[in-house]
Amino acid sequence: MRTTWTFPKVASIVGAVILAVIWLVPLLWALDTSLKPEPETTLSPITWLPQAPTTEAYRSVVEQGDLIRWFMNSSVVSILVTALTLVVSVLAAYGFSRTSFPGRRVLFGLIIAGILVPPQVLIVPLFQEMTGLGLVDTYWGIVLPQVVAPVMVFVLKKFFDGISRDYEDAARVDGATRWRIVWSVMVPMSRPILVAVGIFTFIGAWNNFLWPFIVTTDPSMMTIPVGLANVQGSYGLRYAQIMASAVLGGLPLLIVYALFQRHVVRGVGDAGIKG
Amino acid sequence: MLEDSPPPPPYRPNRRAVLGGLLGAAGALALSGCGSLGGKPRVREWNLFGGGDGARLLEIHKQYVAEHPNVQFEAHTLAWGPPFYTKLAMSAAGGRAPEVATLHLSRLKGFSPTTLLDPIPVDLLNEAGINESDFLPASWNRAMVDGKLYAVPLDTHPFVLYYNTDICKKAGLLGPDGKIKPVKGVDAFVDMLKAAKDVTGKYGASIETTNPWRMWWTLYGQLEGKFFNEDGTQLILDDAKALEALDLMAKLAADGLVPRSANYPALVAQFSSGDVGLSFNGEWEVTTYQTAKMPFSMAPFPVVYDVPKYAGDAHTFVLPHQANRSKDDTKATIEYIAWMLKHSAEWAAGGHIPAYQPVVTSQEYLDLKPQAEYRSVAPDVFFDPDAWFSGSGAQLQNEAGAAFSGVFSGQSTPKAALAQFKAATQTLLDTPSPV
Amino acid sequence: MTVQTPPRVTPGTPATAAKPETGKPWKERWAGLFFVAPFLLLFAVFLAWPTVYGLWNSFFNTSLAGVKQEFLGLQNWREMFNDPAVWSSLKNTLVFTAMSTPPLVIIALVMALLANRRGVLGWLLRFSYFAPFVLPATVVTLIWVWIYQPGFGLVNGLLTAGGFAEIDWLNTDNRAMLAVVITTVWWTVGFNFLLYLAALQGIPAQVYEAADIDGANGRQKLFRITLPLLSRTTGLIVVLQLVASLKIFDQIYLMTNGGPNYATRPIIQYIYQNGFTNYRIGYASAISYMFFAIIVIVAVLQFKLFAGRKEADA
Repeated sequence: MRTTWTFPKVASIVGAVILAVIWLVPLLWALDTSLKPEPETTLSPITWLPQAPTTEAYRSVVEQGDLIRWFMNSSVVSILVTALTLVVSVLAAYGFSRTSFPGRRVLFGLIIAGILVPPQVLIVPLFQEMTGLGLVDTYWGIVLPQVVAPVMVFVLKKFFDGISRDYEDAARVDGATRWRIVWSVMVPMSRPILVAVGIFTFIGAWNNFLWPFIVTTDPSMMTIPVGLANVQGSYGLRYAQIMASAVLGGLPLLIVYALFQRHVVRGVGDAGIKG
Repeated sequence: MLEDSPPPPPYRPNRRAVLGGLLGAAGALALSGCGSLGGKPRVREWNLFGGGDGARLLEIHKQYVAEHPNVQFEAHTLAWGPPFYTKLAMSAAGGRAPEVATLHLSRLKGFSPTTLLDPIPVDLLNEAGINESDFLPASWNRAMVDGKLYAVPLDTHPFVLYYNTDICKKAGLLGPDGKIKPVKGVDAFVDMLKAAKDVTGKYGASIETTNPWRMWWTLYGQLEGKFFNEDGTQLILDDAKALEALDLMAKLAADGLVPRSANYPALVAQFSSGDVGLSFNGEWEVTTYQTAKMPFSMAPFPVVYDVPKYAGDAHTFVLPHQANRSKDDTKATIEYIAWMLKHSAEWAAGGHIPAYQPVVTSQEYLDLKPQAEYRSVAPDVFFDPDAWFSGSGAQLQNEAGAAFSGVFSGQSTPKAALAQFKAATQTLLDTPSPV
Repeated sequence: MTVQTPPRVTPGTPATAAKPETGKPWKERWAGLFFVAPFLLLFAVFLAWPTVYGLWNSFFNTSLAGVKQEFLGLQNWREMFNDPAVWSSLKNTLVFTAMSTPPLVIIALVMALLANRRGVLGWLLRFSYFAPFVLPATVVTLIWVWIYQPGFGLVNGLLTAGGFAEIDWLNTDNRAMLAVVITTVWWTVGFNFLLYLAALQGIPAQVYEAADIDGANGRQKLFRITLPLLSRTTGLIVVLQLVASLKIFDQIYLMTNGGPNYATRPIIQYIYQNGFTNYRIGYASAISYMFFAIIVIVAVLQFKLFAGRKEADA
């Protein structure tokens, strides 16, 4: 298609780019600061680019060691949350969509009601419960409450409801059990939506602040967001180091996002969020 | 979105295997997360030293680790104040607390020692060479609750005056000996700040306006103000004295002698960048300014009013409650505490005045500069009011910070700020104690 | 994120399993429970039980320190209704919601309209607009606290370079909330942007082609076709955003810690302070429950409003 450069078209591109630059400036400023020697960070008037760029701040931050530990914790927690949420929710959604058992309607209604319970109001009793179960400062303590996602069961059940039973019946004729049908028919057929909710579950788990903040007190068990907020690894003038740790803390998901942007964007549409 | 469901895929029986593998991998990772090294006793230490004292502690810990290869040692600095104390309490409630932590002496009773702390085994402490006689009776007694020792005093830390020697020299504030000339009285105090401001062109002194408790408590203490009645059930604040202190703080900000708004990092940055010639702060930033190779020294905070009183507190070591405290770990922990006390001359180099008397009287400590300039004020340290909601980083200080920071910024008058603070304190008094 | 579409049924197929399966053997009747059991177990332990437990605690003076526990009846609830801090933090929560929701919807829409293009530029725009959303709250707030820093921060550096007076954003009563809102918009607008983008891409090209034939110009297409077609998405985004904004905690706790003078403290931070910092589990539980009630009321009201509007649309 030929492009005619009308004023509105040019203006919209310029506007879009300006907006993009505004959105990128904070990130660039963090990067900029992290490359300055500490004394330069508190100069006034401020310097725009580092006069003597150095990676000193990064070296200090990495040497303190905690960040690497938190990165590992975040990875373990996010993978566990994503995998368990998907498995548990798929099974439940299948159960509610395709089987019947006594109390099914009541239970499903209960789960729908659970969507209304904001996790934020449960922090106090949930922490007490974790104390009782001995799960404070453990991976399971961080992970398990995040696995309960009634909204996910609801979305997947709705999706499964829309999948024709013919495929399932065909598989059954071949002798497949229900269990096998879930994994060999329902899951492959729901792949786009599972990828989408999986990505967002992962981002959500990686960035979750409040619950890991409540349930971890031991710095060696903290995730990246919690550790960065609670543990101080350097002293005195340390703006460059703080920005270096912010850059490192944000980088993993930025990379993941840059690589999977297509899936993320399409996923939002596929996940049935589209109106 | 349902209309365009994809066609049925071919059978993929390996799904389950893939999924199982994924979970297995995650599980393996999870397990590797809580491994601990074989038979070595473990000492995990949490502290709240976020200033120059933290940098000093890091060095001391390096030496400790080098000398104790048989102890699995790990230290962490958590964000100062409410975040630290909240995490410490939650970890003790959760039963997986660290072996040892620092705690302000002023927080001891309000921390619920009988449930959230484990008593210090005095016999082990004696075995490690530390005895009651090594401390001033006052500090030892404050560490006792219900007849049991719950804390081992480490230091005392008064509110002091830092001064930039170059700036103060230009301002004519130094005496012939190169030390700052002691000032007494409100007028002399204000003149000192004005002189410094004239040299810097910005402010006279840096101060943490977002948490001005120490400044106010020092001034109120110098006016001989009282806070609670004898049994701690009634607020008997002297309005006139409280207001006099607040009025002075408002004046300093209004005249541009101190910033209208500065948080803690800004206080440090302003002093180290030379935006101010003086700084009102605890004595724990010595290492920061030494590292920055600044021309500075320290002195007691001026006696602005009637009597020498300096807001302050003391750091102690405590054993947070553990559900299953290991005997070996506890022994190593007590030995760590003893080692730290015996090395508190190095700790003192970071600014704090040691509690362990053999060090206090040692030549090594007596020779320390600029510590020698202010250590005489230790007996005049003015502790926070005694209540479950009071002490360093506790609710009462937060309420004071909320109310009084407006006095600096100009968003609140001293009268309004005092009324707000008194109301908040009364509410706290009326709240049933949770400990 | 699903309130908008009621379960749809693919024509011609009996979709749900509501068939009576009574005559079946025991094993088959209960097989379904096996599938839902793992979720139900977790649901019961980590959602249903704490919900009940929290209510129970609100009638006791439970302390984090575990020293004593006495039945108080409605005392916590009475204290709550008379506690000005509850109401002021609730007000802050509502102010934040009111201030943050409009820009989070409008800017997202503008972004979607601007970035709905192919090629490298489209990719770059989508990356820039959504990138902040994948950052953890702590990273976002570390960066923004540094940006707002008086003396040598970016914003004040720009202000002073332009000859204006410095503003201590995070320590000034009426600026702190604005500063938090700006940060929040920067951080989370990307999600709403993606929702709009997905909706835009879902509009069939034929609609515009038809408009072209009728000789419509760009502005007419925008206001007569695009925006009306996006109205349902807008409704959805507003619903999601309102509930999300009411649950504000992370940014405020990390940026201002509720200050200055509690001017930004949201209700969840007050719950946290009471329950954990001040050990008052029982009292914090009562406040949690009141807030829970508000969230439920808002959600139900919105759902009703929204469902009503959709029927009118249809």
